[in-house]
Amino acid sequence: MRKLRRLIRQASAAPLYQRKFDVLRDDASSSLKAFVRETPTTTLEELIAEKLVTGDPYSSRWATDHAPLVVFQLEYGTETSLYVGLGPDELKGYAEALRRCWSLVGLGSGDRVGIFDYGTSPVSYLASSAFTPYLRRGAADALGCLVTCNDGEANMSQRAVEIIKYVRPRILFLRSDCLHPFALEVEKDSLSLSDYIDALVTAENEAVLSTAERVAYEKRLAVPIYRMLRVDAAMFLAVECPRCRLLHSWQDLFLVEAPAGGSEEGGKRNPAPLVITNWFAKSCPAIRYVSQVKATLEPAGCPRGPKDLRIAT
Amino acid sequence: MKPELDRSYPDAMDTWPVAKLRRDQLHKLRRVLKHAHRGLSFYRERYDKAKIEADAVRNFEDFARLPTFTKRDVLDAIREKKSFRTGMESGAGTDMGVLCMTSGTLGTSFLYLPRRWAEIRGNSLARAYWWAGLRPGMRMLMAAPAWHSLAVQETRVIHRLGVTCVVPWGTFLPRHAGSFLAAITEVKPDFVSIFLPMLYALLAECRRRNLRPADAFQSVQNVLVVGAPMTPLSRAKLREDLGVKDLFEGLGNPEGLTAMECSHHRGHHIFIDCCYVEIIDPGSGAPLAAGKRGNVIVTSLIPHGSVYIRYDTEDLGEILPGLCPCGKTWPLLEVYDRRANAVEVARKEIFPYDVRLCLDKVPELIHIPFALLRGRRAAEVLKLKVQQPMGGGALEILENQLKAQIKETLGLEARIEWTEELPERWKGVAVIDEDNGGRARV
Repeated sequence: MRKLRRLIRQASAAPLYQRKFDVLRDDASSSLKAFVRETPTTTLEELIAEKLVTGDPYSSRWATDHAPLVVFQLEYGTETSLYVGLGPDELKGYAEALRRCWSLVGLGSGDRVGIFDYGTSPVSYLASSAFTPYLRRGAADALGCLVTCNDGEANMSQRAVEIIKYVRPRILFLRSDCLHPFALEVEKDSLSLSDYIDALVTAENEAVLSTAERVAYEKRLAVPIYRMLRVDAAMFLAVECPRCRLLHSWQDLFLVEAPAGGSEEGGKRNPAPLVITNWFAKSCPAIRYVSQVKATLEPAGCPRGPKDLRIAT
Repeated sequence: MKPELDRSYPDAMDTWPVAKLRRDQLHKLRRVLKHAHRGLSFYRERYDKAKIEADAVRNFEDFARLPTFTKRDVLDAIREKKSFRTGMESGAGTDMGVLCMTSGTLGTSFLYLPRRWAEIRGNSLARAYWWAGLRPGMRMLMAAPAWHSLAVQETRVIHRLGVTCVVPWGTFLPRHAGSFLAAITEVKPDFVSIFLPMLYALLAECRRRNLRPADAFQSVQNVLVVGAPMTPLSRAKLREDLGVKDLFEGLGNPEGLTAMECSHHRGHHIFIDCCYVEIIDPGSGAPLAAGKRGNVIVTSLIPHGSVYIRYDTEDLGEILPGLCPCGKTWPLLEVYDRRANAVEVARKEIFPYDVRLCLDKVPELIHIPFALLRGRRAAEVLKLKVQQPMGGGALEILENQLKAQIKETLGLEARIEWTEELPERWKGVAVIDEDNGGRARV
């Protein structure tokens, strides 16, 4: 529980959490159960309200005296912009989460990787130390992959197809909203996608492609499609496992809760919003952030990551 | 955070005697040439075919006899090999690096940029940002998205100079101007690096929000602009509107060119540590002396990643005669436009920059986006689309003023079409081909 105590202590330096922790009982950091029971959650609405009231770009979440090395504006269509500040710990831990996502979908040394997303999405900026200042090791550096990015504009689909044809990435990561225009361009070019790539991975912030859409596009494009979940406000990443088709994430990086309040129907638990605590975000902590994604937590035990957290959306 | 910089720019290299600069460049040219001839099939095949020995190149005159090539040649190689590997890149797949793309009207090509390339080019570019006023401890707005080679270089600049950065959501298309403006007003960078069309989009966004640009840019000391040329009048007006100390214009391409203004704004100092620039006659290929306009030929002096030797950028430019009053000895370059943006009107070759100078003379039209219209055949009348200035006003009066300026400056009749919005394009919409349904490629 030392990790928990340290996180609470560090987060207490941020005004937002200081207020929340003032009401914590002493035993809140004695166990994860107590932490979950005692610690108030943080919502997107709260971050917006805090930003509007204080004018602080980090919604009073910044917890150190040093300025962030890199500040990213987040992809939320909210009335005011939200930001995360990244220090060395955040950059390292966040990139490690992306590395594990890449690894889980089968990427390894010598592979080429394509990305069709904005350069300001963590899917892109954590990919290589070449893209982000002070990032010592991006996912591609860690795994020994060669990465190329295309901007995440739908009308850049033709260029994404050029990446497929001339770079032949093993996997193309793309924004969910680029999937349709990309599919049209592939069809226009009569490209047999499976001759070029192993799989597509769709990604979006606080949402995932529905299973019905995934199945339809897999049929249409004749390649497997895996889904990646971003929760940018909490610097969280999870990716769908090719083996068990559940989202995997990692306990040493995140504490994930899906506190289903509803009753079980037919043996199935009701999905509930994922609540995320980030273990590595020390300068800009994310503690019990309530995401917009409803899911259930499934028991660990997938052969591709026996200890991984598993999430069903 | 400690800056990696162990010395302050400017250093002695800024003012090296010209003879020393030339010696250094020739040494680097010969080194890169040897590297290319030995290890890069794209060049070996060309040079062998032309019976050229890399070792036989002893001076700049010998070098000027090497064949040039254009983007079309690179694209042909990509299509022929069905791969991004054209034989111009060393170490692709073995050295850690990234692949960046260049876009354009002809198509997309790829550049392999390994870590060593990023270090050398980024360290060189750090000097440019230093000239533009970026200092350790400052916060910089970084506008280039990950796929752009400028992002790879800026990443290194930021690390090298020990500055922090803010990255707005989205990309540098006008429809993301709201995010960019929010990032500037809320995170308050000291320094902004931005593409010129996006800067114009930010001004339009300020007008929409009834916000004074100078208030929005209150925290910003200097702005570094790339992507399109500023005219002297538009620079002065931008500086006044933004209330910043100065605006600097950078020129560059991922194939090799870096050139940057100093505070005298007399042209762009060529970064002789990383690139060698020639101007040639587009018809004969003969080298042109300073003061003569021709095609800009670039050679990268970095023997890592994708290597471009005598690459014809198909830009129209000139080396400016004389030395800059700043005391720096690095030669001055001016680039006016892409040759592909030339429009023939009444037997004259007109570039968007020429027309921008005319718009600048009508105060209401400074900063207003426009595009030249080009038909399949040469026209007798200059046709352009101009975005309506905000607040309406008497368009007829503005139209007459603009036509008069075009007549006086370019000696041409003009037909002006006012439009609410021009198509989106990263580097602005310079020319719209009417045969292409009026569409501009992004």
